[in-house]
Amino acid sequence: MIALAWRLARRELRGGLRGFGIFLACLALGVAAIAAVGTVRASIEGGLAREGAALLGGDAQIELTYRFASEEEAAWMNDQAVAVSEVVDFRSLATAEVDGVTERGLTQVKSVDGLYPLIGSVRLEPEIPLAEAFGTADRPGGVMERVLADRMGLTVGDTFRLGTQDFTLSAILVTEPDSSAGGFGLGPRTIVRTADLANSSLLEPGTLFSTQYRLLLPEGSDLARLKAEAEAQFANAGLRWTDARNGAPGIAEFVDRLGAFLILVGLSGLAVGGVGVSAAVRAYLATKTSVIATLKTLGASRTTIFLTYAFQIGVLTLVGLTLGLVLGAALPLLFAPIIEARLPVPAAFGIYLGPLAEAAIYGLLAAAIFTLWPLARAEDIRPAALFRDALAGGGLPAPRYLLATAALAAALIAAAALFSETWMLTLWTAGGIIGALIVLTLAALLARFLAARATRLKATRGRTSLRLALGSIGGPREEATSVVLSLGLGLSVLAAVGQIDGNLRNAITGDLPEVAPSYFFVDIQSDQLPGFNDRLANDPAVSRVDSAPMLRGIITQINGRPAAEVAGNHWVLEGDRGVTYSQEVPDNTRVTEGDWWPQDYAGPPLISFAAEEAAEMGLKLGDEMTVNILGRDITGTIASFREVSFENAGIGFILSMNPGALAGAPHTHIATVYAEEEAEAAILRDIAGQFPNITAVRVRDAIDRVSELLGGLAAATSYGASATLLTGFLVLIGAAAAGQRARTYEAAILKTVGAARATILGSFALRSGLLGFAAGAVALLAGCLGGWAVSRFILDTEFSIIWSNALAVIAAGILTTLLAGLAFAWGPLSARPAHVLRNRE
Amino acid sequence: MSEPVLSLKDVGLRLKGNAGMVDILSGITLDVAAGETVGLIGPSGSGKSSLLMLMGGLDRASAGTITALGQDLGPMDEDALARFRRAHMGVVFQSFHLIPTMTALENVAVPLELAGIGDAFDRAEAELKTVGLDHRIDHYPAQMSGGEQQRVALARASAPRPEILLADEPTGNLDGVNGAAITDLLFGLQERYGSTLILVTHSRELASRCSRVIRLRDGSLDTALQEAAE
Repeated sequence: MIALAWRLARRELRGGLRGFGIFLACLALGVAAIAAVGTVRASIEGGLAREGAALLGGDAQIELTYRFASEEEAAWMNDQAVAVSEVVDFRSLATAEVDGVTERGLTQVKSVDGLYPLIGSVRLEPEIPLAEAFGTADRPGGVMERVLADRMGLTVGDTFRLGTQDFTLSAILVTEPDSSAGGFGLGPRTIVRTADLANSSLLEPGTLFSTQYRLLLPEGSDLARLKAEAEAQFANAGLRWTDARNGAPGIAEFVDRLGAFLILVGLSGLAVGGVGVSAAVRAYLATKTSVIATLKTLGASRTTIFLTYAFQIGVLTLVGLTLGLVLGAALPLLFAPIIEARLPVPAAFGIYLGPLAEAAIYGLLAAAIFTLWPLARAEDIRPAALFRDALAGGGLPAPRYLLATAALAAALIAAAALFSETWMLTLWTAGGIIGALIVLTLAALLARFLAARATRLKATRGRTSLRLALGSIGGPREEATSVVLSLGLGLSVLAAVGQIDGNLRNAITGDLPEVAPSYFFVDIQSDQLPGFNDRLANDPAVSRVDSAPMLRGIITQINGRPAAEVAGNHWVLEGDRGVTYSQEVPDNTRVTEGDWWPQDYAGPPLISFAAEEAAEMGLKLGDEMTVNILGRDITGTIASFREVSFENAGIGFILSMNPGALAGAPHTHIATVYAEEEAEAAILRDIAGQFPNITAVRVRDAIDRVSELLGGLAAATSYGASATLLTGFLVLIGAAAAGQRARTYEAAILKTVGAARATILGSFALRSGLLGFAAGAVALLAGCLGGWAVSRFILDTEFSIIWSNALAVIAAGILTTLLAGLAFAWGPLSARPAHVLRNRE
Repeated sequence: MSEPVLSLKDVGLRLKGNAGMVDILSGITLDVAAGETVGLIGPSGSGKSSLLMLMGGLDRASAGTITALGQDLGPMDEDALARFRRAHMGVVFQSFHLIPTMTALENVAVPLELAGIGDAFDRAEAELKTVGLDHRIDHYPAQMSGGEQQRVALARASAPRPEILLADEPTGNLDGVNGAAITDLLFGLQERYGSTLILVTHSRELASRCSRVIRLRDGSLDTALQEAAE
């Protein structure tokens, strides 16, 4: 039977692939988008792996927070490595006198030793060696990124100041080999020599800086063993180990997550394509009704019929998959130079089999899911169809096909989860897509029902165009369903992205001016605090100043056991955290459990911990916690929990202690200043002028940086969503093309009974517009629901509908269907009725 | 003979075929008087249906002039022709040609709506009653038999009370019983409303009910038969 079905299939395929353009395009585009995203991700990961050591600036790196390596640590590093280079990283304000005006710019300073960089090279403009750029000890030099130099109006040869130390800007920094290893910087880069900062007052004890020791290891060193050894030897010293196996862990993780997310968006595109594939198969099988009926009349079994057409669709699927894979592999290679230029990290572009296999699996499963139902219907066609102009029957296929569809869908979701390694996100996305498909199907049915009803309404009588439009939406053809499904799903993704992006932006920028401070000031020395407060207390534009002592510490033990054993991998335990102390309960803080220490408390260290994080970590009152601060262990007892809000950008510390526990340790203060926007410039000028070591971070600038990052993310997601929408448009074109024959016939009859072309065109436009509106409206609902769910449960932000985005989605829906519909209107309008009608005789 | 309702002068139709231009019709000259019933007969491919399409303005003549109710159809554009049919003509086809996305009632109402008639649906319903289909008004074409579909098509053609009724093999797709019923209905409607009926048929029986029979052969009028009938 299989051989017979294959023979029959081959004979039917002799007609070629005509009529399958949309089928192939939908499948190929969906697969290509996923393969392309996967290939770019693999290329970046390949690049990161290949150049891990260069990105890191060494074979391995040990990072310490706010201190230099101890003698013991330095000795260990020197024992292991061929060379050790020390890099200090901190934020500061660069100042310069330009034309009698003091210019200030926030900068991320990297101060280095003579060995830097161990791997790769720094490129400067003019092209001079870095050592030369650093000048001499009595006239030190430094380099900064062009954006900072331009902002401050500096040119090469000018003087700038960091803290209390003057530097000559000897060159512009073009590239630094290890730029990707650092995390998120708030300002452009400046590089100077660490030795030249000795008199800058910037690296005093207690100021916020990190040190990175880059190790050049002997050939064949076992990185995993060294890591374990370092971590064991300096277990509680708060060192963070990174090595060339993953030279830019932050970026690698980001690329991985973004890639996974974009592939999930790509899957929604494949779902949209699936609707088109399904419609194409249905349309194809509808033209085969008489062939199937004839075969059955001649004795073909249901299975033979099913297999005959399954083979044909299978062959087409393979063609579509191949096209998609070739496209998905070729596009990134083709655009490699452009992509590379825009990436902050190296990428090794090439053909990666992994992502291609992933895309092929998705494509295969999606094609199977979306073609099974129409195929199942084919075997239900009765020989009697030869004698009656039967329309394709509705209803569900046999239970075995329902089961098979469910199993295939489960396999697709499982594959997506396995590949993306994010079960929750995958399940949410799958739930979203399935939910949207169900809602859209119901909406399409409702639209058809309402349209059919509306044609009977007195109000539509006499409005011929409208009634014709409603009649063709509500009539017994299925075009309306596939239009609403395909366009609706594409628009839903776009609407959800728009709503999430808009709400996130609102959360960051919208309410901030009301509640967020104007400035963060860091590195305020204790003896500078009175002067600092004086300046602000006398300023009527300043509404509030909060300050707190700021230390950084690593929670190493809880109740005598390693912290990670007790609280797992909670984010509070990842690296160092801000620690503060205070005599009294600070303003805006509420003790939720336990008691704050008494005013004159002088006993052993007590801790007040953030309530929400404590609950997540399973902490309770009376627990003992050891915190390593500046290499010294301090063990305290948790005496209270308190509510800490991180949302309004004020000062929020996870961990606070009684003053006696920490006051002896060298530390600085952090302050937030709430002031009118007009007064901000004057405050900065005065504070920075009086205390050159203090760094000011303007909150508005920081928000702009975060917004920029979010903008990039939203753009990437929008591109993904656009691919989905493009697929949706293809499906629409397919539906419009498939409906053209029917449209031409309809137009011919209407002309015969006296309809002018304007009336017919009006009815076509109205039908398209109404369907577009239905798809847009449902997409808006689904998108808002999705946006709300993501905002509420994943991002934890408030949600309100962004109406401009919402209306744009509906407008896009109407416009897209109108375009697709009207593009195919000319044929029906221009055809002579006699020719059309006689061809149907 | 009073002023003809339909007048054809030296009408020809040339269409492009696989082997070049083909003369489908040539030198057709005839007049049809008001209230006349004319049967167009002839072998397959003789051009009967093409002639009927030209009379209805559904196709354009390559030569000659066609005048209907005193108006020359030649200079009219597509929309003007549609408006002319809306006001004066009803057409019935062998394959019914109902709009598949519309119910019987809606199909019959369309020409009335297009003519801007206020009670289009009431009149459509009455018309369906006349053809005996008042129980099928909410059915779609695919839900009806061939005979029923042709009755809907007849109702649609006659509902606007056209002066000219054109029928292209109206019983060609129907069995004897249904064909006879449709024939009775067609002539009944013609009689009741006084329309001029021109029909194309292969059926001698149907042709014999017409007041005049015109035979076509190879795209031209078979004058022998025409003269005999006169």
